[in-house]
Amino acid sequence: MKFKVEASGLRDKLSSFLATAKGSKRFVTGLMLLFVIAGLAVFEPVINAVRLGGRKPVEIGLFERGLPPSLEHPLGTDMLGRDVLALVLVGLRYSLMVGMMAGGIATIIGMVLGISSSYLGGRIDVVLNSITNGILILPTLPLLMAIVAYVRMDMLLVSLTLAVFTWPWSARTIRAQVLSLKERPYIMLAKVTNLSDLEIVFKELLVGLIPYIVASFSFSVIGTIMAETALRMIGLGPAEIPTLGFLLGWAMTYGALAQGFYTLVLAPAVLLVLIFVALNLVNTGLDEVFNPRLKKITGL
Amino acid sequence: MKSLLQVKDLKVYYKSIWGDFKSVDGVTFEVYENEVFGIAGESGCGKSSLVDGILRLVAPPGYIAGGEVIFEGVDLLKIPEKELRRIRWTKLAYIPQGAMNSLNPVIRIEEQIIDAILDHKQMSKRKSRQLALSALKSVGLPVEVMQMYPHELSGGMKQRVIIAMAIALKPRLVVADEPTTALDVVIQRGILQLLRRLKEDYGMTVIMVSHDMAAHAQVADRIAIMYAGKIVEIGFVYDVFEDPLHPYTKGLISAIPSIGRKYVKGIPGLPPSPLNWPAGCRFHPRCTYATDVCRSVEPPMREVSPGHFVSCHLYGEKA
Amino acid sequence: MSIPLLELRNITKVFRIGGGLGLFSTRTIKAVDSVSFTMPADKPVIVALVGESGSGKTTIARMILGLLKPTSGDILYRGRSVSQWLKENRLEYYKEVQPIFQDPYSIYNPFYRIDRVLKMTIRKFKLASSEQEAEKMIVEAMREVGLRPEDLLGRYPHQLSGGERQRFMLVRILLIKPRLIVADEPVSMIDVSLRAIFLDHLLSLRDKLGTSCLYITHDLNTASYVADSIIVLCHGRVVEDGSANEVISDPLHPYTKLLLTSLPVPDPRQRWGEEIDLSTLETFEKIKAEKGCVFHARCPYATDECRERAPPLIEAKPGRRVACFLYTS
Repeated sequence: MKFKVEASGLRDKLSSFLATAKGSKRFVTGLMLLFVIAGLAVFEPVINAVRLGGRKPVEIGLFERGLPPSLEHPLGTDMLGRDVLALVLVGLRYSLMVGMMAGGIATIIGMVLGISSSYLGGRIDVVLNSITNGILILPTLPLLMAIVAYVRMDMLLVSLTLAVFTWPWSARTIRAQVLSLKERPYIMLAKVTNLSDLEIVFKELLVGLIPYIVASFSFSVIGTIMAETALRMIGLGPAEIPTLGFLLGWAMTYGALAQGFYTLVLAPAVLLVLIFVALNLVNTGLDEVFNPRLKKITGL
Repeated sequence: MKSLLQVKDLKVYYKSIWGDFKSVDGVTFEVYENEVFGIAGESGCGKSSLVDGILRLVAPPGYIAGGEVIFEGVDLLKIPEKELRRIRWTKLAYIPQGAMNSLNPVIRIEEQIIDAILDHKQMSKRKSRQLALSALKSVGLPVEVMQMYPHELSGGMKQRVIIAMAIALKPRLVVADEPTTALDVVIQRGILQLLRRLKEDYGMTVIMVSHDMAAHAQVADRIAIMYAGKIVEIGFVYDVFEDPLHPYTKGLISAIPSIGRKYVKGIPGLPPSPLNWPAGCRFHPRCTYATDVCRSVEPPMREVSPGHFVSCHLYGEKA
Repeated sequence: MSIPLLELRNITKVFRIGGGLGLFSTRTIKAVDSVSFTMPADKPVIVALVGESGSGKTTIARMILGLLKPTSGDILYRGRSVSQWLKENRLEYYKEVQPIFQDPYSIYNPFYRIDRVLKMTIRKFKLASSEQEAEKMIVEAMREVGLRPEDLLGRYPHQLSGGERQRFMLVRILLIKPRLIVADEPVSMIDVSLRAIFLDHLLSLRDKLGTSCLYITHDLNTASYVADSIIVLCHGRVVEDGSANEVISDPLHPYTKLLLTSLPVPDPRQRWGEEIDLSTLETFEKIKAEKGCVFHARCPYATDECRERAPPLIEAKPGRRVACFLYTS
């Protein structure tokens, strides 16, 4: 009789996770919403190419100014004769790109620092933890404003800048979890089985951090998009990167609401809110998925 | 002896994708006033589910599949939730397993006890404070504890705070689930003696659920042995230990490592699964005396000698 | 005089507690205070290290396993300090010294199947040269411990019972075949009825494989079942030691006596006599007093001298040490 001594748990954990995840309405709703949003962003070039016949959405004067919503222009046109839907889709794409890049960088920095800090402990932990807390205390917005106002930014730099102020959240969450996990007997068992520290971090620790990494990533994405939007509302930030925040800021500056261009303000705002809602749903949904499972597993 | 609690054919099942886990599958027993009643059994026999069932704390996917729990003439399983809340804590208190670890770490002890009191009975804050103080006194804790936080207390002290919370409103019945796990042996003795004192000095009735037979030997008046979702033996503690009737009881007692016991024998085999209890007598796969009738017919509970009941075909003909 | 298998020389461990992640505070707690004992190399023994929580027994276990560094003192394994072993021959050290932990659940990473523990062990210690050989070893070891491979392999930790999980650790031990097992409360979290079965395995490891064991526990019942000798620890200090039979039948230190009388005997006819006064047991001060005997606050025989000076560990009878002024003449 051949016994299944194969110990690759991750593949099965993934499939059983997906099976359980289906039970959480929040998670499923959030995920579906995310897919829709991401889909729109990914296919934006195609959509806009088809709708605008190859012309750029930001091109001024393509259409008549101030058209109300219609079948041809579902969100109408703005005061410069641009199709609002096309603009908003471009904005969505750039917002997501910046958000994910910044969120990703923030999460990675947070992971590396959070794990090293708590796993290595001692002085390293004190130093890194103080730095983390220090950055948290810093007045983020004024500093961001200063940096963005004076430094020429491209997508990468913007993301990096935003990430620098967001990573402490990931670092703290992950550090707390590592602190709790590293005293577990299975970690000690790994040590006496002569696993090196790196092996322990990657093989034993990381797996238990996945929900926290995903949560950190969601929070970072939300945080960076919010920060970026805030900057845009004051008129800061590179104009070549037309995010939803940029659109909003630009619209407010030009008095869109006063002039009756409601869609120009509402559409970006609603999309931003939807992004936040989707990410939050996925987050809290994940919580629902992981915690009752744990209760079922351990709570007998 | 007056009867305080009668459990009749209680069934607590848990739904799952593989079927129902029949954790408590028809349990019947009686608890009298002013006694310490022990419920003994290994992990997985259903004792915690039994307590959940009696106190109507079963949460989905668990459900009460049948039976009655008559407390002071009232079926706890059938009364409305509001009435149950009035009975809980004031007449019937519960000390769950590991409760000492679920004390709120950021609230002082005084407030936690007072909160527990006020949650279940209306009264002035002053009166609740008095009750809290007297409860702490009855468990032997000094007044200073009121102002402390849980992390400042040792395990034994935390457990005593939990007991104080439970008895603050002077209930008639206290149910303690594994009250001494994770406590040091000297503290264990203190807690067990405290539980006994609740009966002797305060006239309470105590139901103690524990897998530790030695603990029952020290404090229980009567004991019920649980196996595979059913009670297999009930009797006065002297009778059950001196003359264990059920083969499982005999196995349990002889498996206890104790000083002076050189020969300790475990029970062969493993406990069965609640998804699929064995047919007939549930212990038959592990029983050295099993016969054909044991494999097919479930033995009824019979009184073999006054107050000593057993569910085993070995005692078929006795009246 | 041959080199002992394990020797602790004046081992002390001080923890700093308090603010600044412990680096900026001056409050300390002496978890282990000048503990010395040996385990012989010439014959396999089971030594019980008995103490309640706060006695320092788990800290000692961790130091022996190299998971914690002593503040002062030496731990020598076969004559070489553990820190040297770990620096120069880490793999060899762990081939000879292995733990059994208390909590059957958290010794497994809940995200992986339980076989992983064994496969990892075989791979790291190079115990098998092929996957087939590894499988064969695992199946054999499982059968020896009384577990059914076909039932358990491929499962997740939560699918096994506590007793099975703990016994599975024995499979790992059987694969490695260490010379010294450091078992930290191995049976306190499994049912009483299963404890004897587990302990029998420890005994057979001693008798058949010549494995010594440092059996750490707070329960003298199980200690009396397996141990050849007993060391009693109180608040980080050794207060008594000697052969198991003697310590149990003729306890010298008042703390040992207290431990013995507090044991619940599974016989209703032998109930505890007087009630224990809980208020004398608990102290608010988590940081114990620096001077005097560790037990003086709870000792019925305490004198002024006990409160002032710590009694030395002396040999009161042949082969029996005790730290108590009652025995100094």
